[in-house]
Amino acid sequence: MYPKEIERLLLKVQKPGRYVGGELGEVIKDKRDVEVRFAFCFPDTYEIGMSHLGIKILYSLFNEKPYIWCERVFAPWIDMEAQMREHDIPLYALESGDPLYDFDFIGFTLQYELSYTNILNMLSLGGIPLLSKDRHGLEHIVVAGGPCACNPEPITDFIDIFFLGDGEEVDLEVIELYRECKKEGCDRAEFLRRASQIKGVYVPSLYDVSYNDDATIRSVTPRDGAPAVIEKRVMMNMDESYYPDNFVVPNIEIVHDRAVEEIFRGCIRGCRFCQAGFLYRPVREKSVECISKQCHALCRNTGYDEVSLSSLSSSDYSQVVPMLKELNSWAKPENVSLSLPSLRVDGFSDDILDEIKTVRKSGLTFAPEAGSQRLRDAINKNVHEDELINTCRVAFDGGYTTVKLYFMIGLPTETMDDVADIANLGRKVVDTFYSAEGRVKGKSPRVTVSASSFVPKPFTPFQWEPQDTMDVLKEKQQHIKNSITTKKITYNYHASDTSFLEAVFARGDRRLNKALLLAHERGIRFDGWSDCFDFQAWLDVLSDSGIDPAFYANRRRSFDEVLPWDHLDYGVTKSFLQRECERAYRSEASPNCREKCMGCGAMKYGGGVCYEER
Amino acid sequence: MKNVRVIYEKNGPCKYISHLDTNRVMLRAIGKSKLNIWYTEGFNRHAYITFALPLSLGFGSTCESMDFRILDDNEDLSAIPERLNCCLPKGIRVLSCKEAVYKPADIESAEYDITLEAMDSNDISEKELSIKLNEFLSLPEIIVEKKTKKGIKNVDLKGYILRFELSDGDKVGFSLTLPAGSSLNINPNLLINAFSDYIGTELYADITRTGVFIKGGKSFE
Repeated sequence: MYPKEIERLLLKVQKPGRYVGGELGEVIKDKRDVEVRFAFCFPDTYEIGMSHLGIKILYSLFNEKPYIWCERVFAPWIDMEAQMREHDIPLYALESGDPLYDFDFIGFTLQYELSYTNILNMLSLGGIPLLSKDRHGLEHIVVAGGPCACNPEPITDFIDIFFLGDGEEVDLEVIELYRECKKEGCDRAEFLRRASQIKGVYVPSLYDVSYNDDATIRSVTPRDGAPAVIEKRVMMNMDESYYPDNFVVPNIEIVHDRAVEEIFRGCIRGCRFCQAGFLYRPVREKSVECISKQCHALCRNTGYDEVSLSSLSSSDYSQVVPMLKELNSWAKPENVSLSLPSLRVDGFSDDILDEIKTVRKSGLTFAPEAGSQRLRDAINKNVHEDELINTCRVAFDGGYTTVKLYFMIGLPTETMDDVADIANLGRKVVDTFYSAEGRVKGKSPRVTVSASSFVPKPFTPFQWEPQDTMDVLKEKQQHIKNSITTKKITYNYHASDTSFLEAVFARGDRRLNKALLLAHERGIRFDGWSDCFDFQAWLDVLSDSGIDPAFYANRRRSFDEVLPWDHLDYGVTKSFLQRECERAYRSEASPNCREKCMGCGAMKYGGGVCYEER
Repeated sequence: MKNVRVIYEKNGPCKYISHLDTNRVMLRAIGKSKLNIWYTEGFNRHAYITFALPLSLGFGSTCESMDFRILDDNEDLSAIPERLNCCLPKGIRVLSCKEAVYKPADIESAEYDITLEAMDSNDISEKELSIKLNEFLSLPEIIVEKKTKKGIKNVDLKGYILRFELSDGDKVGFSLTLPAGSSLNINPNLLINAFSDYIGTELYADITRTGVFIKGGKSFE
């Protein structure tokens, strides 16, 4: 329950429903009955955080343990933050209303780099010392997991423990260790040292980093028996892996306001720009029976009438049509609709269309990512133009009139001709509409072309690549604009300055910690929100911290450079990533995991797609 | 098929959810409860529910109503509150379910319980606040700007206060009846904001709707 004092503040802020909890499905326990209190913090607003699947899985998993009470904490929007600071109200958890400093664990999920300043702001609002070294005693253990934990170096001063890979087991092992340490009366250092022995746990304070004269990293050296290489955790059997049968159902509308069922983890494709495609290897599927059972329970318990079947590439699920048929056997009579996001252009068939037709026709979204076939081969986005055009024709024949196409600019090996081909592809889609026999007559097509700026990420074949400078990116954005000659195409592009900052932090090292601290001290937060993002303020922070952002964003690394994340092991080997990068230079695509094994290294986990019969 | 009306209370965390969000919460509760009610028959089928008088964000209520159509004429209406309550979040509780008697268009007035205090308690004492309130209500007219569909117009609230009664207790509280419904609706915040301006102090008002009435002061049911 929210603290009584905030009632009078709530009517002065937008969407007060964000701050009160009380939703159906929230877990309330008596704090005197639990041994460990865990504050699950999402460093963004309620509507974003409540849409995230990971928090739902771990919230239910932790709360199934009688000795743990896991609660939710979100970043207050700037209007609420101002009220809280003015009235000295600490950041509180929604279930109990207790301030963050009452908790044993403060856990953050690292979904995107631009949320790092919110982590610091939440700690400060919650009365938790920001720096790991300033926190003493066996309390306030600040932990973090999620995709950005694959290069956590820019936030190592603030976080005590990082969880690498799937959290379902390792999180509980660390909580259990904490419980033991509390009973034994261990101190904080002893707890952290013992935690570092658990597979998947990275305690950054146990590693010393030294640098070369050219500012690159010389070495990362473990202390106190911490492992030299930290290996990610993987849940190999998805059917037996924990999945909640109920969600906290928000009272206010959130971004993804529906039940979500994860159908598999990982992706067979290996698009060379895509970090998720490498971090979550190998592909591990759930069975149709398991998916159907879990979905049905979720709909019954939450009251949602829409289920989203979530994965990195839905149509790559090996049993996609049988799955949709099985789900519709109960979903149709119960007025539940299914949605299948992340469909690939080549996976869009009549069969699938028939099964998901119950969902309202909004529009279709495809991500060819690059305009020319040459560049699509180089980035290994194995989508062919004729497939895209055929799919659009099927869609137009089926009554669709709106198509959104997502592209990236600044991809490695890209030329101005590749960029102009983005506009050309958009035009071909418009032409396809007019040649489709079954198109809606008397209506004109709406084709949206969106171009975002490529950000090179760790653990991808492009991890060594420079990001295009902002000037070049702007030039490319203009070039697309000038190449579009029809009004049927709407062209959107994203600001290149946020991508630049993202590129700095994505491949940053420990020297960025002090810049983050300074940014926080200057009131910077919500960098992912255009209404808050202040690029000049960030440039000042970086320059005042003695940091050259181009060193991180725009520099080409050599293949033998020690990268800040080299001591973390996500299953894919550096030599595999290098081979893939070299293939990209030759504009050579690679087969997907089901076609041919490229020897990425994930086979060592002993399961998943690597051992499927072919 | 029969038209039924549930009366529910809305308070606690649910004071802070908007009318549209309340609609969504109710739709999910009905879906989850598996009540056999009439669904629309369009492309996006959904349970057909209507609300007689939307409640402003931040108000509590003991007398909200929602109407829907029960398909089975022999359905036991007295079991419906419990079936819905186990599917509703903290702060919304269905009190009764009966066949609808009056039409939403019959609604003429609503009653509110209001407690007032200064945002900053140093600004004005409870006693002073109480004296000022009496003074304010004794003014010959209380002109405020009211936003209507046709634009902003000045109205005299004085003539719209159908009933006013101070309540006992430590805090400055009163019960107030104002016109309500689709043709003329006066939000109690108009009066409170006018009072706040009059004394030059920011106020916090805890407002609960306690009654909805048709012609002749009969409860809407």
